[in-house]
Amino acid sequence: MEDFAHLVGHRFPGAVVSVPEHFTWLWSDAVGSRPRAGSAHPSIAYPLGLRGTGLRIDEILAIVGAGREDGVLLGECGFELHRPLRPEVAYEGSGGIVAVERKRGARAGTFDLVRFEVHLREESGEEAVRCSYTWVVPRGGGDDAAG
Amino acid sequence: MRPGETVGTLVVDPVPLAAMKTMAALLDDPTPIHYDAAAVRAAGLGQEPINQGTTNVGYLVELACRVGGGPHSLRSIDVRLNGSVFAGDRLRCTAEVLKIDAEAGLVELELTGKVGTRAVLGGRATVAMR
Repeated sequence: MEDFAHLVGHRFPGAVVSVPEHFTWLWSDAVGSRPRAGSAHPSIAYPLGLRGTGLRIDEILAIVGAGREDGVLLGECGFELHRPLRPEVAYEGSGGIVAVERKRGARAGTFDLVRFEVHLREESGEEAVRCSYTWVVPRGGGDDAAG
Repeated sequence: MRPGETVGTLVVDPVPLAAMKTMAALLDDPTPIHYDAAAVRAAGLGQEPINQGTTNVGYLVELACRVGGGPHSLRSIDVRLNGSVFAGDRLRCTAEVLKIDAEAGLVELELTGKVGTRAVLGGRATVAMR
């Protein structure tokens, strides 16, 4: 079975990202929060960070050796917030894969926990948020996907 | 506020299908299990559409923010997604104080999310004290 430990250190191309005001309103409403003009719910770091990789989901999946049909799941997610996130503000994303851990479960078979991080910085260079994502990537040998 | 004390609760009852559709559009996520019950049944994953993990993370973020007094209070959060949340479920999330750093003005919270007795979410967050 192919070892994906070599992915640690892989850098994403990065991208400058932002979200419009209406996006933050709808997002807040969808997560059960009260929309606030000029402010974004902190969980909006999730899509901002993903876009900040400069890649589409399918492209990240390809890097970790998987496709949409492989049952890859989000296992963990975290944000370290240094500044409030705001709509219409440009954030420069940078990051990459920081860990790959192989696991084996009775039902799930062999899978990798692939962790990647994205830093989003404002134009001033100040970091606004560090986003981390751990994907559960099935590698086969189980009844179903992990998680 | 002291360690072990439950300082916040967020109940989503029922988990709304309409929000899943909104989130699918916002994320440009074509996965039908988040909006089409027939697709969920065909995949053998259950009977109702499955909430996006992103939204479940958002619920715990919202809970931590309420404990801290608003979105500006959240310093960090880490969430584990342990199980599926379906449209129509009653999701109950709680925040319990783990540790207080009075000097830094920070509170560390243990977060949990359950559907009935099934633990579907877990995590920790640090918020600035009001």
